[in-house]
Amino acid sequence: MKPLHVALLLGLSALASACQHVDPWERNLLARPDMAWETDEIAATQEQHTYFSKEAAMPGGGVGGGGCGCN
Amino acid sequence: MSQKKRRARCERRAAQRAARSGRGTLAMLTTSALALIPGLAQRAAAQSRENNWSIAYGYSMYSEASLPASKISAGSRERYDIDTHAFKLAAPIGGHISLGLDVTYEKMTGASPWLIQSDLSGDPVVVMTGASIEDARTDVLASVTYIGEKSRTTLSGGASMEDDYTAINFGFGREKDFNQKATTFSWGIGFSTDEIDPNDTSFNPDPTKHHKKTGTFSLGFAQVIDRASVAQSSLTLQYADGFLSDPYKLVSAGGINREDIRPGTRTQVSWLTRYRRHFERVHGSLHGDYQFSWDTWDVKAHVVELGWHQELFELLSLAPSLRYYTQSQAKFYAPYFALGLPAERDASSDYRLSPYGALSFKLRADLSLADWLRVPEARVGVQYERYMSGKEFALGSISRENPALVDFSVLMVTLKTGF
Repeated sequence: MKPLHVALLLGLSALASACQHVDPWERNLLARPDMAWETDEIAATQEQHTYFSKEAAMPGGGVGGGGCGCN
Repeated sequence: MSQKKRRARCERRAAQRAARSGRGTLAMLTTSALALIPGLAQRAAAQSRENNWSIAYGYSMYSEASLPASKISAGSRERYDIDTHAFKLAAPIGGHISLGLDVTYEKMTGASPWLIQSDLSGDPVVVMTGASIEDARTDVLASVTYIGEKSRTTLSGGASMEDDYTAINFGFGREKDFNQKATTFSWGIGFSTDEIDPNDTSFNPDPTKHHKKTGTFSLGFAQVIDRASVAQSSLTLQYADGFLSDPYKLVSAGGINREDIRPGTRTQVSWLTRYRRHFERVHGSLHGDYQFSWDTWDVKAHVVELGWHQELFELLSLAPSLRYYTQSQAKFYAPYFALGLPAERDASSDYRLSPYGALSFKLRADLSLADWLRVPEARVGVQYERYMSGKEFALGSISRENPALVDFSVLMVTLKTGF
């Protein structure tokens, strides 16, 4: 087994063991707007399109269509 | 009122607002791997509004910094300015269907790097186009999501249109909840077909139409860790086939200018992990993202983003964040080529394929008007970002920085209401 696979398995195991049982009615903090993955959807889409146009890496959020980005 | 009671009331109101607006735990868990599929990026977030109508509008002003005269051989110092209008609508139909529509219009003006040459001392300098380029882009994306008891299925289709570029995309994604919705697995596929018609022959000697096709597959999961933290991890694979060059760029090889030529295929892999944690005592939330990317052009990239979201007076939120980016160069990149090259050999001097790093600072403020307007959600957001790039930010040492590397700033205003 490659070291990367071992690291992934160890990471997933650590995450699974670190998780606590949280009942649905105990999730008020997780429901806060400032805990969302993206706190503003339009802003996040614009940011990803800008990074897509200016950087070589595939952005963390794909952009529909995307356009040329030739500038 | 005691401090403890005030905090409890503040917490309760925040949770009530979140619940009313539909941005609950489920919403957070669902915006996972689907967000990596072309055409589903916006839709993944839209699922958070599955039971509400919502309308949002955003306006942004993007401005690239002028290049210093010492880095330019010819052409304009001024670079691109882009004004963008974005509109987003989500409409529930019955209890299980949500329709989404996103429309974006942007207008671009300014100059662009054309090619890189060597000056008398051997340092690379950029030849810019004149400041005469004007273009506009319209992007439309429509989607339909079926919302089951423990799953969501989304189908989307969209198009992006410019004067010389058209892209059409489709996406399909599915998410399923487990463990009382504490765990969500997701997967998605996307497909895009693009056509470029380089009709401005002043900067491109070959007005031939070109095509490319892109397929994307993504797999991810999100997990509630404890009552104040949640994590998400997803892997995305993308394969592109066709014309992947930039028709508006040239390469200087042996003192002769020739076309920018890149391989006809590219496979990219990206691994994104995100973490959110709320700190009750200070009413703030920590955001941490890390992404590693690799592709068959030998570009490796790391992105780290850290943000802090601070609630103030129940109505206002301030969110400063810092983003670090670094990439290695593509295997066929050089700022310029001292010797001549065979006609068909891959070669590019595009600054976006050069080795560099970038640091950006962002500050965002959101004001909630929901209580005042008596609607489930109403918000005004203002955001400013400053992005700086250069060899000094890169991991490892770089001998010759590409002189066309860009610094830019973005000012954005967004309005959103849900009812």
